[in-house]
Amino acid sequence: MGHEPVSGGGKVVVGILTGILLAWAMTALSGCSGMGVQPWERDILARPGMQVDPDPVVTALDEHIYFSKEGSTGGLGTAGGGCGCN
Amino acid sequence: MAAIKGGEGKLGKALAAACGLLGFFCNPTATTEINTAVLGYTEPGRVSAVEGIVEGNHVLDDGKTIGVHFVFDTLTGASANGATPSLGVQTFTRPSGMGVYKADSGTTPLDDTFKDTRGALAVNGSMPLNRLTTWGLGLYGSGEHDYTSLGANTSLTRDLNRKNTTLSLRSAYFRDAVAPEGGRPVPLAAMAPPGGLQPRLAGDGTKTTLDLTFGLTQVIDRRTVFAANYTHSRVRGYQNDPYKILSQVDPVTGAPTDYIYENRPGARDKDMVYGELVRSLGDDSARLSYRYYQDDWGISSHTFDVRYRKQLGARQYVQPHVRIYRQDRADFYRRFLLEGEPLPDAASADYRLGDMHGLTLGLEFGRVLASGNTLTLRAEYYRQTFSAGDTIPVGQLRTLDLFPAVDAYIFQVGWSFDPGAIGGG
Repeated sequence: MGHEPVSGGGKVVVGILTGILLAWAMTALSGCSGMGVQPWERDILARPGMQVDPDPVVTALDEHIYFSKEGSTGGLGTAGGGCGCN
Repeated sequence: MAAIKGGEGKLGKALAAACGLLGFFCNPTATTEINTAVLGYTEPGRVSAVEGIVEGNHVLDDGKTIGVHFVFDTLTGASANGATPSLGVQTFTRPSGMGVYKADSGTTPLDDTFKDTRGALAVNGSMPLNRLTTWGLGLYGSGEHDYTSLGANTSLTRDLNRKNTTLSLRSAYFRDAVAPEGGRPVPLAAMAPPGGLQPRLAGDGTKTTLDLTFGLTQVIDRRTVFAANYTHSRVRGYQNDPYKILSQVDPVTGAPTDYIYENRPGARDKDMVYGELVRSLGDDSARLSYRYYQDDWGISSHTFDVRYRKQLGARQYVQPHVRIYRQDRADFYRRFLLEGEPLPDAASADYRLGDMHGLTLGLEFGRVLASGNTLTLRAEYYRQTFSAGDTIPVGQLRTLDLFPAVDAYIFQVGWSFDPGAIGGG
């Protein structure tokens, strides 16, 4: 039962996305982007709803569910661990 | 959830004492944040689970942090064993090798013997190396009756550009041991009748996982934050699901002639790219994320996640949530095997490795109470549907549902409380 390989195209996608990520990092590191705020401009950014992972408990519970029910997992940069999930 | 000042109560003292586990000095007057949640998960007619989490984070005056994360969950119910439905009643040997369970005509065979509890404990700490660089260290352990996982992680984060840019590098290592009920089945061996000699491997299965993550967080402007991660994960060792089988069917009638234990490759390399954008819209905020995943088993997936946090005054909010998931199947995924054809090196009928679409719709409500504690309520609906791909049904299998959808309901209550108040301090 032949299955069209996806890893070839997938590698291209990962390569492109990783390239964008690295380019972004280089731009940010160079300081030329002009992005960002002054320390006194962080009022809105300090709100709970503006945090990158505002509720780690929800993230951990969701990751456990999807880890158990799907073929792919991870990538969010959060700590995890194995389980014999069904 | 809001940070809560505390640390003088019993829980605060206990959390502070836990700092010693990683050698961090603790100041009991520093900020403590305690988050708890209980989640119920149910697939009608299949698995149900209840999971509780207690998480405490202690931030010291000098910038050091300690976090303790405890999880307890219990699982009961039935799970698809991988066999195809049949026009006749099917009988399967239980994993223990003693006794049987049956599937009625036309129904998806479900192994109804699942009953397990799991406890997991993670301890994480971080300390600033200088004004802009932080080093982190964590330990993890979990156990259930047939599965044990131990892990450690370390990370380095660096702030740049007036702390508008944060780069991070994180590595994690896990070592898991699998000791299945009745022993590990011989891969691709046929299931023996109950009471007979079962095809089993000696000893436990072990698996190691090494993750490496590079992360970037960038403040775009006063209202926008962007974060991205790239993760490479290398898994080696026993990765079979010892409770999953494949039907071997007659190529003409489609009737089952045997049941074969699955076999998966012992090596798996995964790559993931994740991006998240958070944008303030007045008092509200919107969160969009996307993850691309691929591994050398042939699985690739796209995950889109959108949450909109609508403030209802200063103290409460509602947050609708939509998650869309699409997965291409593993190269060795086979819905069934044909009698007479050579056995492949690897094969699995686990529906989680198949062509899949997932949709999650949810709603969360949060309220900061007068005491300063925070209550959250969440309800979600999760539906998985599957496509046949290039599977060609034969005989009676043309009339049977080989790819039934799975529905699940998720309910959660969360609570952030003041450890000082609980401890009477």
